[in-house]
Amino acid sequence: MAPETRPRGFAREIADLVGAVGRAMRVTFINFVRKPVTVHYPDVQRAYPDRFRGVLALVYDKETGEEACIGCRLCEYICPPQVIKVEMLKAEKRNFAKTFTLELYACEFCELCVQVCPTDAIIMMKSFDVATADRRELLFDKDRLHAVGLQFPASWATGNLLRDMQSPPKAAKAEAAPGKAAGGPE
Amino acid sequence: MPAPLYYFIVGFIVLNAVIGMVTYVTLLERKFAARMQSRIGPYRVGPHGLLQPIADAVKLMMKEDVVPTLADRHVYNLAPIVFLIPCMLIFATVPFAPGLGVADLNIGILFFLAVSAMEIVGLFMAGWGSNNKYALLSAMRAVNQIISYDLPFIFAALVPVVLAGSLRLSDIAQAQVGFFGAFIFYPVIGQLAFIAYIVTTLAAENRVPFDILEAESELVAGFRVEYSGMKFALIQLGEYAHAIGTSFLGALLFFGAWSGPGPAWLGPLWFLLKAMAVFLLITWVRWSFVRIRVDQILAISWKLMLPASLLLLMATATWVAWSAGGA
Repeated sequence: MAPETRPRGFAREIADLVGAVGRAMRVTFINFVRKPVTVHYPDVQRAYPDRFRGVLALVYDKETGEEACIGCRLCEYICPPQVIKVEMLKAEKRNFAKTFTLELYACEFCELCVQVCPTDAIIMMKSFDVATADRRELLFDKDRLHAVGLQFPASWATGNLLRDMQSPPKAAKAEAAPGKAAGGPE
Repeated sequence: MPAPLYYFIVGFIVLNAVIGMVTYVTLLERKFAARMQSRIGPYRVGPHGLLQPIADAVKLMMKEDVVPTLADRHVYNLAPIVFLIPCMLIFATVPFAPGLGVADLNIGILFFLAVSAMEIVGLFMAGWGSNNKYALLSAMRAVNQIISYDLPFIFAALVPVVLAGSLRLSDIAQAQVGFFGAFIFYPVIGQLAFIAYIVTTLAAENRVPFDILEAESELVAGFRVEYSGMKFALIQLGEYAHAIGTSFLGALLFFGAWSGPGPAWLGPLWFLLKAMAVFLLITWVRWSFVRIRVDQILAISWKLMLPASLLLLMATATWVAWSAGGA
């Protein structure tokens, strides 16, 4: 509030005061008659956006029904807080993860593990509902991660979809829309 | 029935009714405040949060009662009681319907105003006994503010007294029948006096925008910062009882107490509704304004409210004397 240099007159001051009081009380009254915006969370769930970054999970391959993870450890290497530990299990046709642990209590939900996953095995779920009274319950092993994958709806992002967004556009597409391709992420 | 027994029984009933009302008024205020912020407020405990005050009371009773090591033990322990008693005593003179009250004193409003100003003693004891600099700061601010605002508060409350020509609260309520059942419809004087009453009530109850003594961003809880458990509950009870008491007084002085459509037995209900309306008005103000500074509070009191309310009282007295003399 800038200090007033001139006296403004009693009537003017009172009129300003009354006006200010009226405006302030009008705002609260409008809010009072409005419907509350509260969502009763555990009973009613807000619709989460498609790219919600929620709890991490492992998924099964849609075609074969096998575990999608091949134990390549890319997620372990890229993880900034280093909460993922993977051991590979060598097999005939393809490899599997022997163990896969994720310390969710230290996870920062950066989605980098999802971005690098070559088989779309680790993805994020549209849920954050893993609150617990015991920290140890947030040390997820492979079975728990698969269970979480079945429990919640999956978010949009998978490794291949995210990489498609970041890779340069395909030749055919680039010719079709050269203007857009120039500004695209390289 | 012997008189002491009568007073004991009626007083007991009124006291418990006030305590019950206070617990539920907290819920009312929380719900109302929540709606002002587009929230819902207490909802989980009981249907629509109706059992929340009971849960709060049980929680407060089960809390640990901590006395700070360096506190002045006796003052500290006595303060909540000294604070609560005047806040409860003010209900002694309030007539809830014609002839329905603990004591309809012929100086009822004087008793009310005198006793309600006494809460400052308990308040300062709490701030002093806690041996906490923030509590002491808060208590000093409270004394400062309440003494400043008691005069305009009394002057504003005396306007209906002058209009009614009686200090007895039931007489004041009855005298309003001629003015559509409420002194607030008295041209000019009624509205101005009501505004003055609300502003000074806010200050006398230390509510926003005059809440410098609990100033949540600087003094946390003010003079009750060291209190916990049941002592804290007693102080809260006293504050709300005082707020409701002044709401009842406002409803009696300006809204005609128990007058209203319907049969006579609906009177106490009308009185309650009007008092709650005044209380909600105070709450509405609370959520609409920001806190003002200490010097501004004092300037408003001494430079504006005191002369204005005194002028209003004198104008009312002159008008009443003139119209009585002319008629």
